[in-house]
Amino acid sequence: MMKRDVHITARDLLNAMQFREGDLGRIGILSGQPQRIEMCLEILGNPIKNFSAFGYTLWTGEYKGKRITVGNGGMYAPDAALVTEIVCEGGVDVLIRLGSCGALRTYIDIDYVVIAEAALRGDGVTNYYVNDGFVPRAERELIEASSSIFDGKNVHYGTVWTTDALLRETKEIINRVIKEGAIGVDMVTSPFLTIANLYKRRALAILVVSDNLITGEMGFFDIRFFDAEREMVDKAFKLIEAIDA
Amino acid sequence: MKVLFLQPPLGGWVTWGRHIAINVNHAQLAANLREWYPEIEIKVLDCRALDMDERKMIDAINEINPDLIYMGDALQTTGVAAIAPRYKRAASLIKQQNKDVKICVGGFYYGANAPQILKETKEFDFIIYGETEVTLPELAKELSKKDPDIPSVKGLSYWDRGEVKVTAYRPLFKNLDDLPLPAYDLFPMEKYIGFGRIRNYVETYHSRGCPNGCRFCVGWTNYDPRGNSDWTHYRIRSAKRVVDELELLERKFGAKFVVMMDEDFNVYRPRIEGLIEEALKRGLNVKYFFMGRAPYFLRDKDLLKELRKAGLIQCLFGLEAVDEETLKKIKKRITVDEVEETVIRCRENKIGTVITWMVGFPDDDERAIKDRFERLDQIDPDIAALQMMTPLPGIPMTPEVEPYIEERDLSKWDFQHPVVRTKYLTREDLGRLAAWANREFYSKPGRIQRILYSKNIHLFCRLAARSYVETVDAHARAATKGEVFV
Repeated sequence: MMKRDVHITARDLLNAMQFREGDLGRIGILSGQPQRIEMCLEILGNPIKNFSAFGYTLWTGEYKGKRITVGNGGMYAPDAALVTEIVCEGGVDVLIRLGSCGALRTYIDIDYVVIAEAALRGDGVTNYYVNDGFVPRAERELIEASSSIFDGKNVHYGTVWTTDALLRETKEIINRVIKEGAIGVDMVTSPFLTIANLYKRRALAILVVSDNLITGEMGFFDIRFFDAEREMVDKAFKLIEAIDA
Repeated sequence: MKVLFLQPPLGGWVTWGRHIAINVNHAQLAANLREWYPEIEIKVLDCRALDMDERKMIDAINEINPDLIYMGDALQTTGVAAIAPRYKRAASLIKQQNKDVKICVGGFYYGANAPQILKETKEFDFIIYGETEVTLPELAKELSKKDPDIPSVKGLSYWDRGEVKVTAYRPLFKNLDDLPLPAYDLFPMEKYIGFGRIRNYVETYHSRGCPNGCRFCVGWTNYDPRGNSDWTHYRIRSAKRVVDELELLERKFGAKFVVMMDEDFNVYRPRIEGLIEEALKRGLNVKYFFMGRAPYFLRDKDLLKELRKAGLIQCLFGLEAVDEETLKKIKKRITVDEVEETVIRCRENKIGTVITWMVGFPDDDERAIKDRFERLDQIDPDIAALQMMTPLPGIPMTPEVEPYIEERDLSKWDFQHPVVRTKYLTREDLGRLAAWANREFYSKPGRIQRILYSKNIHLFCRLAARSYVETVDAHARAATKGEVFV
């Protein structure tokens, strides 16, 4: 029988990669999509690759005098959990997720932005971290700071439902989560916020709308989505500039 | 005698968005006419640029009251053969109003097929058989006489008492430097727009023909088949003259982006060296694009840095296929490695890249097309312009492709619609694969961000790429549902 409490911890992984305290910045940007990380790296000064394992890579560089870590991870709930835990363990205090979501309101169009204030947990990962009643939340100060940067009618704040089953977003399930207050659906925000909350880190998930589950519109390859993605990256750095971290 | 150069209402390639370019053939012929026969009055009506529908076109023509109307293109990029139904319809409308006005067409598509097309198109009075540069001015001059001697005008197909006749072969115009510069001053230059977004946009044409004579190339259709493979008799404007034109366009018309539509601009190294020297000497700011061949770009790779300084921001070269057998069959005379290296060298020098590639060769099956796409994807140009096999009469490959033609409606002969099947694929399969490949290329993470946002690529290149990305759905509708855009 297994003797250790946990087979591998985030600390084990960091140690295996010869991690030193201070390698990572105090602010971290995570995204599942490598192209968003590439765009971040174009903005970041002197980025150094300081963690690489299992296909996840973290880079740390400078932006306006602040040390920022950017990394991929957050395509799906399990890998979001893994990377979020690694950066929390590695000393990142402020976590910003740059993601995408489907809209659960007709008035939220492709290329709009949803800022997740909280998550509805439809994923399978967070059950291993918290009890049923736990509601993962973004940090209030970060939400407020973001409101001056992500503003206008194209930005909506609210609850995001996280699911593991992209191809089982049925009418029954979707209508239920809408009733529970969700305005968007993704596959990452729940574990991202849950783990950040457990580590008492400040966290915010910024999501560009890629499709709309109510109207049925698909915008995954729409240039409006690509443009919004680009703008989200630029604005994320403005947010970093604005926050006290 | 009053000659009207008419561009009837017309769309464009679906992938280029709302692209409104000057008709370079009209601009050149107007200049020739003005210089050689100054007594002839010249009018220009570009309905596309002026956003005029057919009703407005007819009203404007009635007001101008021309004696001779000319329609035609030098470039395949106007819409390949999909221009033809448009010109025929315009001619029909014009003739309904005024039976006496003479209508002549020429240039791309018509040049190689003049008598055949004339037989089927009673609305046209003349079709130029071969090169248009001298024939159209001579025709106008002849028609201005009391008793015109039409058979004396070489390179012409015409009606004679209900029969189609052709005049003698017109030899090629030898020295392009002897041609006047195009008459840009007669055209609404401020109205032209590239790829739906680029203002101060001009297309130009500084050479004729291509020495390589690829067997699929639609450029052949500009030339009289009675000549000696005239398409392959490559003639150029000298570098100095090219830069004269760039300078004129920049200084007088405010051009910011000039797309040189020569099918093969970089055949001669001295011309490229001369272009660099002249452009730098004159301190031009205008940016430009040209098309060439990968082996020539590699021959001149040491010039790319200076070329970029001298204004080249984007270039195009053909891949067409990736297996040696097909490349040999189509006589492409390049290697895939050359194409790949050209992309790398251009990228090193911040020169954007466009690669043309094709589907619809008779031996194409799904595997061949997917392999072709995979290699193209690996080569990773900034823009991949997919062209479906379009076997116009007059190109060397047409006889062997002829049995596979299934779509005869010329409004779809624009490279964007499948008009043939292959030995192994239906026309529908071909359209589906084209739509798939286009979407695959323009949705690849990383590439999208590079071509839309990277500062390593000039803004004009990014705007052109944006047009391709924006039109992926529309392209799919053309390829799979037959929607017409030209």
